[in-house]
Amino acid sequence: MKRQKTSGMEKKLVRQYLILVLPGMIIFTIGLIVPLFLSFRYSLTSWDGMSSEKIFIGLENYVKLFKDSEFRDAWWFTIKFTIGNTIIQNVLALLFAVALDSGIRAQKLYRTAFFVPCLISAVVVGFIWLKMFSNVLPALNDFLGTNFNFLLFGKAETVLGGLLIANNWQWVGYWMLIYLAGLQSVPSELYEAAKVDGANAIHRFFNVTIPMLAPAITICVVGITTGSLKVYDLLVASTKGGPGRASTSVIYKTYTTAINGRQYGYGSAMTVTLVLALLLVAVIQVKGLRKKEVQA
Amino acid sequence: MAREKKQKEEVVKQPYTKGTLAVQIVMTICAIIYLAPIFIIINYSFKSKKELYLGSPLALPKSFNLDNYVKAFQKLNMKATFLNTLFYTAVSVLVLAILCGTTAWAIARCHRKFFKFAYIYFIVGILIPYQALFLPIYTIGYKMHLTNTRYGIILMYVATGISFGVFLMTSFMSTVPLELEESARIDGCSVFQTYFRIVLPLLKPAMATLIIMQAFQIWNDYLLASLYVSKKQLKTLTVAIQSLFSAQTSDYTTAMAAIVVSVLPIAVLFLSLQKYFIKGMTVGAVKG
Amino acid sequence: MKRKAMSIVLAASLCAGMMAGNSVVCSAAADEEVTLIVLAGQSTTDAGIEDMIDEALAEQYPNITLEWECVDWGNDFQPKMQQYLQSGLPDIMIGKAQDVATYAPQGVLGEIDATYLDRGLDAARENVTVDGKTYGMVYNALYQGVYYNKTMFKDNGWEVPKTLDELQAIIDDCKAKDITPFASHMVDTWSIGNVTMQFCMNDVFNKTPDWGDQFRDGKVSFSDSEDMQNAYNYNKLIFDNTYGDTFSTEQTDCDAKMVLGEAAMKVSGSWSIQNFLDIDENFDFGIFPFPNQTGDSKLIFEPNITVMTSAETEHQDAVNAFLDVLTGNKELAVEILDYTKTASMLKDVTPTFDNPSQEDIDKYAADNMIVDVTLGNNQLVWGGFQEENAKDIAAWLQGQETFEECLKASDGRVDASSAN
Repeated sequence: MKRQKTSGMEKKLVRQYLILVLPGMIIFTIGLIVPLFLSFRYSLTSWDGMSSEKIFIGLENYVKLFKDSEFRDAWWFTIKFTIGNTIIQNVLALLFAVALDSGIRAQKLYRTAFFVPCLISAVVVGFIWLKMFSNVLPALNDFLGTNFNFLLFGKAETVLGGLLIANNWQWVGYWMLIYLAGLQSVPSELYEAAKVDGANAIHRFFNVTIPMLAPAITICVVGITTGSLKVYDLLVASTKGGPGRASTSVIYKTYTTAINGRQYGYGSAMTVTLVLALLLVAVIQVKGLRKKEVQA
Repeated sequence: MAREKKQKEEVVKQPYTKGTLAVQIVMTICAIIYLAPIFIIINYSFKSKKELYLGSPLALPKSFNLDNYVKAFQKLNMKATFLNTLFYTAVSVLVLAILCGTTAWAIARCHRKFFKFAYIYFIVGILIPYQALFLPIYTIGYKMHLTNTRYGIILMYVATGISFGVFLMTSFMSTVPLELEESARIDGCSVFQTYFRIVLPLLKPAMATLIIMQAFQIWNDYLLASLYVSKKQLKTLTVAIQSLFSAQTSDYTTAMAAIVVSVLPIAVLFLSLQKYFIKGMTVGAVKG
Repeated sequence: MKRKAMSIVLAASLCAGMMAGNSVVCSAAADEEVTLIVLAGQSTTDAGIEDMIDEALAEQYPNITLEWECVDWGNDFQPKMQQYLQSGLPDIMIGKAQDVATYAPQGVLGEIDATYLDRGLDAARENVTVDGKTYGMVYNALYQGVYYNKTMFKDNGWEVPKTLDELQAIIDDCKAKDITPFASHMVDTWSIGNVTMQFCMNDVFNKTPDWGDQFRDGKVSFSDSEDMQNAYNYNKLIFDNTYGDTFSTEQTDCDAKMVLGEAAMKVSGSWSIQNFLDIDENFDFGIFPFPNQTGDSKLIFEPNITVMTSAETEHQDAVNAFLDVLTGNKELAVEILDYTKTASMLKDVTPTFDNPSQEDIDKYAADNMIVDVTLGNNQLVWGGFQEENAKDIAAWLQGQETFEECLKASDGRVDASSAN
């Protein structure tokens, strides 16, 4: 109806919208996109990170990468860590949230207790659990006269479990809050209606609660997955990637290769592959989860 | 709004049954286990070096000595590092709130191809681990004279946080009623006027979420801070504490005291603002 | 209400930040003052010496202020240097002797004036000199070898072992008496790397000082070299005769157990002394080199704190003043040496702390049975090579890799084995 009249106006509008978008885009470009391209450029060189000359070697680094078993192991660790986190954290957070929402007294107190660990930075959390596993918990054995193996960071087989405990200790409270908020916003008449239909508690949980929590689930799953794939800080003050290389994540491997190993070009190639893989995972996830949300 | 009221009613209505009691007991045990490491840190922080080596980690300290705290306070250069961290966090978060709001709104309202591209462009950033890009990020920083400056580190926090912010705000935009905006436009408001007068006030809850989520990240960030602010008087808490860890491997009672000292302010802040924190976090997680 | 709370927090933080910002501007504005930027890569025992240096400098040169950036040498020094190589080096860098070989060829380090070098021991110069120019001022030194509980050795009638057989006899006797032969903390990969280099010094580099060069030329390799395999294998000897939970035992606890008499020996370095004496000031210990195949092991000596300067500093005078204080102020030197429990590399300076192992050190020194580990660290660098090899050794000890795989992994890292 108004089309003809507004074409001039619309241009003006678009210009104004552009002004709103551009500052953020520029900062973002400088801070992340340009470095990304720099990384790609360096990945085609044999640069050591120090000297002034950067020799172009084409795709040699990438060829090397595919044969590098240490890098493959780092990926394998990262994937296991991510899957473990996504499952445990989501389930625990949801369980805690449901428990807190079940009408128990002093809900706020519990909320605070579970939330406090995520106020602490991951570097510190790593350090705390290092002490927990190697000093505190073994002393608990002496105290109780039991013989649990608490030295989780000391063995390649158990280090993943130890890190999962540390990571979940830190983050469950955070995601729990999001689920709790989601739960509290579920209109009670939905439950009433389900009750009238004769659905029991478990049915109600899966047929009412879960679908209503879809947006919260999306946020939590995406947040936990990307967070876990990027794991680095947690390792810095705890296992340092060990024992051996048993807990070396992709980022940790990249760091030690590019910096400590003075193979900046090769490390950059690792970065590029990591970024590509992350993008792939994310696209699949967002598409999949969003679709479910719509259906719900 | 109406929903909120119902929710409150519901809480009151829930009866306290045996089942609830069982849940209460289980959760109490969980909470105690959860808080145990915190008690242990606090316990450690009062111990002397001898007690650390020779006593059981579970034993209580013999005396309530504050030596470790005094040492930690000095070693961390607490006054400066704390103010620095607070300043970087507050300013970055403020800038992020402004930028993400305007960006997300423009993306949601203008259906040109460019804006769709802009959205994808920003989303890419959620998935790029800036940890992996730290060296080129630093290279950019020194080339543009951003390192060892306050605005440099803030700019970087904004750059690394903006993707998530835009994602969050855009998903919230669908809950902002279009009618209000349209009537404002008909009244002759420009895009900017519409945003700041009509939309921004409606975005407050989303802004709160954004601010809280980013504040945590920035407060606890280690890598960017260690790259951008190496000068002693510009350092942040996490960087100071990390160097304390590596320097005090033989004396971790001091490190434990430092942990307490560094977490305490943010914990107090959280406890006193808990209500707002949680209200803010509700937004993204709840179906609009 | 909510808005109020938020705005109060924000306003408070803004004010606070601005105040902090102002104070920085003020201190930089006074122009006759010179501020030197110092990057200090420290070992665990070094943290704290910066305050001592500040104090001494303030007395002698009150116009000079040092702006310290202290990082962990093992993990963070190289990354920091890498950054600074792109943006310009700090005026002063404190690292280890082996850093000179890494950074001097980049042409970024300044030559140290002979005035200050002459105040140091000549022995300190060799490994920090590249093409006839000296780029590092070595300040103190560590000793590395096997620390042993003297009282325990006396009580059990053990002699200091010179050969591996003698060492094995002690190990066997330990086991019979329910004593852990070796204290170790393999949770720290660096300690595995460190002891491996000690073994290499006496089994590889003593025979073939240019083993690393030959390795890069393809003449020798880990998979073929029996000497190198011996050196690697000693790790297994330690692992089989140490705490069961060594991969979860940290240095502090490891040292505490040794002081408490749970273990007899520890392959380590001077950094353990601080811990030993902290736990029990009367702990009596000595040191001997880990025996090698030929029974002629030397005690290992490592130049530690090494001052390097930037070739492009704008304040050369102030940098020299810093060197003057460091090398000329004997009181300061003694204070630092006593604090770090290290040996002096300055002429006429001797630390005054009571070091039970000094007797042994003097004996080896008198017999000329001391060797500088910088040679080994220059032949096969720490970062990216020794460090990575140590991870493979850990994986091998834990049964994650075979010995052959472990050796092969080291061979595969040949490109990273040299600093240049």
